[in-house]
Order: sequence, then structure tokens, then C-alpha cells
Amino acid sequence: MTEKVVDLWKTWVTRRWNAEARFLNLERMGQDDWLKKHRLNVPTSDPSSKEAQVILKIASRLRPEIETISLAHNGFTSGRIMQYLAHYLPKLKNLSLEGNNLGAWREIDYISGKRGRLEELRELILKGNPLRELEYKNNRAQTYKSEVSRRFPSLEILDGEPVARVGFDAPSTSTSTPAHPRTMLSTFAWNMEPSFIAGVDGSLVSNFFMRFFPTFDNARRDLLDVYAPNATFSFSANTAIPPRARILGIHSSKEYPHQRNLAWGPWLEGGNGGSRNLGRVNGLQKVSQSLHLGHEEIIKAIAALPLTQHDVAGSPEKFSVDAFPVRQGEQTNLLITVHGQFIEKPAEGIRSFDRSFVLAIAPDGSRAKQRGWDVIILSDQLVIRGYSLHDAWTPGPMRVQAGDLLPSPGLQQALAALPMPQRALMQDVILRTRLNFQFAEDCLKNNEWDVDRAVANFEQVQGNLPSDAFLPQDAFLP
Amino acid sequence: MSTLTQNDIEIATRAADHFTRLYYTTYDSPTRVDDLPNFYRPNSALTWNGKPFEGTDGVRELLIGIPSTKHEVQSFDCHPIPGSQPPNLLVTVSGIVTHGKGPSANPANTPRHAIDGHPRVFSQTFMLAPDPNAPPTKSGEVAKYYITADAFRFVG
Repeated sequence: MTEKVVDLWKTWVTRRWNAEARFLNLERMGQDDWLKKHRLNVPTSDPSSKEAQVILKIASRLRPEIETISLAHNGFTSGRIMQYLAHYLPKLKNLSLEGNNLGAWREIDYISGKRGRLEELRELILKGNPLRELEYKNNRAQTYKSEVSRRFPSLEILDGEPVARVGFDAPSTSTSTPAHPRTMLSTFAWNMEPSFIAGVDGSLVSNFFMRFFPTFDNARRDLLDVYAPNATFSFSANTAIPPRARILGIHSSKEYPHQRNLAWGPWLEGGNGGSRNLGRVNGLQKVSQSLHLGHEEIIKAIAALPLTQHDVAGSPEKFSVDAFPVRQGEQTNLLITVHGQFIEKPAEGIRSFDRSFVLAIAPDGSRAKQRGWDVIILSDQLVIRGYSLHDAWTPGPMRVQAGDLLPSPGLQQALAALPMPQRALMQDVILRTRLNFQFAEDCLKNNEWDVDRAVANFEQVQGNLPSDAFLPQDAFLP
Repeated sequence: MSTLTQNDIEIATRAADHFTRLYYTTYDSPTRVDDLPNFYRPNSALTWNGKPFEGTDGVRELLIGIPSTKHEVQSFDCHPIPGSQPPNLLVTVSGIVTHGKGPSANPANTPRHAIDGHPRVFSQTFMLAPDPNAPPTKSGEVAKYYITADAFRFVG
């Protein structure tokens, strides 16, 4: 396309632009006399047609930023024409596709799929497209609405009607500006801590796991009584390779000879409905099928998963548990998250997993209670992922970058006397400079408690500091 | 006990998608200390790698003590929990998180097999509950949800 043609498109876009309303009107382009007069080709879905891309690129430079586009009444049969929409206008709020000829969901996936999604879309109009009108004609309006809103989680209005959804008190990413600039720490102020169990007797949690996992491994059908009659269960496979395990070469290591026998198929397709990774699952039917409601359905699903062996009794260090009470209406339940590993049969390779349970105290007289369970499961979500070492939750301070100093227990104890956030800021400066408390505090005070400024200041003057300005070597872990 | 409808499941699925996107975008932004606490309430309970924090102030304190982050969600799941209407939502997230500047900021003499600086695998579980005191602000909103419980751990 020549520069002259691009300039003509710029002129045309400006003619169609309403800056006050932040609205770009791209309706009925085929009937546009100005385009005809200047012999400009109307954009088409032909892959060789560059017009759509040119228009969107020009649109992306409009100020104030564009909020609304109408592509109504252009006779579009393919969504390909919109393939660059999410790229050039990722913050688009309102879109009309009214009166086109779009007939399949794959056309919409050009603006809601992996190649690009309008993450902030608030309002969409699809009236007058076969995609919508056929569903309405066949009394499938609800399916149509679900299919659209599933594709655009931020959608508030569809075809002029409000979309039922859940709201959050979240900042609008486009309008939020820093209240005051903050420097973030370069180190962790918090350590990795051991298992945390609160509001409940620790033995209740350990008794549950000591019985649950062996039963899950050896006699899954016996778990019928521990799931509440209206319990929920699903599992999802995170098939991504864990970065640190990859660097350590675990997958190909001689120490773990069976890792190569593992395959994701039995998890992605198994368990009576397959993996329920909502970031991947396509289609409402799959979303429903992979959520198992009621204890009988749950037992069927877990019975259809690959066999497992969790060594909870032999190697407790390979498991991490956090448990604390959660209120639900009038009731107080227990939220338990457990992380660990199991051997998958028959491959014999090791998998890591995360499992979240909502538990309630087993009511007196319930089947669970009669069978000796102290708790019943209301909800159970299992994540299976590639194997990572359990070192991940070894208690103690953690590094951000390689070569970072780590504080000794003594240094952390001394710092513990300080209130937050001073404690975090002091530890950060000390770990980055080795300065002692007095010098670190002075340095921070002289720089308005901004850690980056304090460290920059230190670097200018460090040559002139006395040796007793620094902490001894044993203040840091070797 | 109430049972779940297809509609409950759909709203829950969409809510989880919207929530995870908003939550981690906010977490990874330079204004996280001001903005992320909005997702919580004073009675929210949370643990970060086994350390307990309480409420919006606790979230603020937690965030002051950790380096900048970049989260990548690799899988997530969500159940409506039967028992109340609208139902609580149990959301689990599995993904990776890079702290600070990542492996490229490691010192030049770092051994090739050092794992420091590289992304960690994280697991985060949320219980979301409707806030009876926060009326819906937009048409179509069935309720305003907040995080009543949050359990986070590095797991790889």
C-alpha cells in the first residue's frame, strides 16, 4: 500500500471518528461514497487484504483513546477481518457487529481466542447475525448467551441486555495511577514457613490425611462416605514444564528413570469428563461434565483416574499442609490445601499435586461419623502437575536472584524487634549492603526510607565507610 | 441442602476467569499495595507460604515485604460451593511467578544449573464470598464478591 493510500485512509478514519464519544463508526463501508470516489478497497476477509489492518493501526493512534467501534452492516461472513482487533485495540470497551452474516463461534474466536482476546470488552452487539438469530429461533437463547459471556468474562451488556455475573472491587487497570511511587524490595521480607494449621486440632488434619490418601490409593470406592451427598469434585492437569525442575534436569535424570514413561493423556481425558483447566477447556458441555456433583458421581470420577501411591506416612516432608477455618454463611468450615507428590501407576513416574479441600465436622449420626471419619468433604479440587522437588517448601529465607545474601537466624531475630514496614526495609538494605543496623537505618532515614535510593547512596560513599559499619560474616547464611 | 444449577456453574466459571485475570494483573502492577487489598475485607484470612496474615491491612503488609512479581496462570478451576445463595466460590490456581528481574539479572558468574532467579511454581486457593454489605454497582451483577480466604504457596 502506498503512502498516499495510507494517507487517504487516515483522512477517512478521521471523518468517521467522533472524538467526544470516543466512537469510531465503521458501518456500511461498502456503501461509502467517499471510499468509492477515492477508489479505496473496502476491507475484506481475504488474507491478502491489508485494509483492515491499516484502519485498525490508524484507529489505535486516535486520541482520546478509542472506546467504541461499530462494524455493523458490513456483510461480514468471516471473523478473520477482526483478527488484528485485539492486537491494535486491546482496551476496546464496546463493539457492535450488528447485521453482519457471522454464522459460527469460530468467527467470534478471532476476538476471544488464543490469538487475541478483547479482555476489557464491556458491551457487544451481535443482533442480526445467523449465529444469534438461529439460536433464538431454536429456543437456545440461553446457550447463545452462555457461549458469548464465556468468551468475554468482562462483558456486562449483550445485545442491549445486562449479563448476569459476579463483580469484584477491582481497580480499573486503565485509569489507576500510582497514589505515590513506591520502590519494591529486592529481597523477601518473609521466610518460607512450615505447615500452618489454625482453628482446629492438628491431629484432626493429620488423621484425615493418614486415612484419606491410603484409601484414595488402594480403595477409592471406600471414600463414598467421606464425601458429602452434595459435595463437588474436579481435577485439572497443569501440563506446563516446571522451570526449576527443567533446569535441574529431573525429567531426564538417571535418579528418576520412570519420568519418561509418564503421559498426560490419562489425566486430560480420564476421570469421567477429563481435566477441568478452565483456561483450556472449550465448550460449556465440557465445563459441566468435568465438574462432579454428589458423592456417587465423585466416586465414579476418581475411580476412573490413574492409580496413585501417596507416601504420606513414610515421607511426611514431601507434603505441605495449610489449614484454617473459613466462614460460609452461618457455618464455619475448614479450608485445607495440601501440596505433595505421588507415584503414578503403572508408569511409576512421580507427579506433583496440589489439592484443596473444604471440610466440615462430620455430623453425629452421619455415615461418615459411623465409619470413623471426623470430617466430611464438601469440596475437593485436585491439580496434577509436572514433578518439582519438595525443596520448594523447605522452611527458611529465600533468594530472589542468584548470589543474594540470606539473613542468619540471629540477624532475623534482631530485626524482629522492629515494626513493619521498617523491618522489611532494613533487612532489604542490610542484605544488599551488609551495613550494620545503625548505618542501615541512617542510610534509609537520609533517603526518606526509599530502599533503592538508600542503596544508590551507599554505593557512592561505601569506600569511605569504616570497617565497623558492616555486619560480620556470620550475620549471613553461608 | 441447596443444589447447584447449570446457571450457578456458568456464573462461577466466568467469575473465576474474570477474577484470576484481574487479580494477577493487579498483583503484578506497581500500584499493588494500594489496589490489591480492595479484593479483601478486614476479616479475610490468608496464608503466604505458611505465614498467616489478616484482612486488608495484612495484605498490604505482606505486599510491602515481597519483590515485584510477574505471574503466569497455567491452569485454574472453580466450584460453586453448595450451601448459600449466591454460592461461595472455591478457586484454585496453578502457575509460575517470577520475582524481581528474573534470570537475566543474575550475576554473570552464576552457574548454568542455578535455579535462583528463575520462575517458581505457585499454587493459590481462594474462597470467594458475596459481600452482603456491598450492593451490586452495575446492572446484571448478582453480587459483589470478595476474598474471604486465600492460601498461597511456592511448590516448585
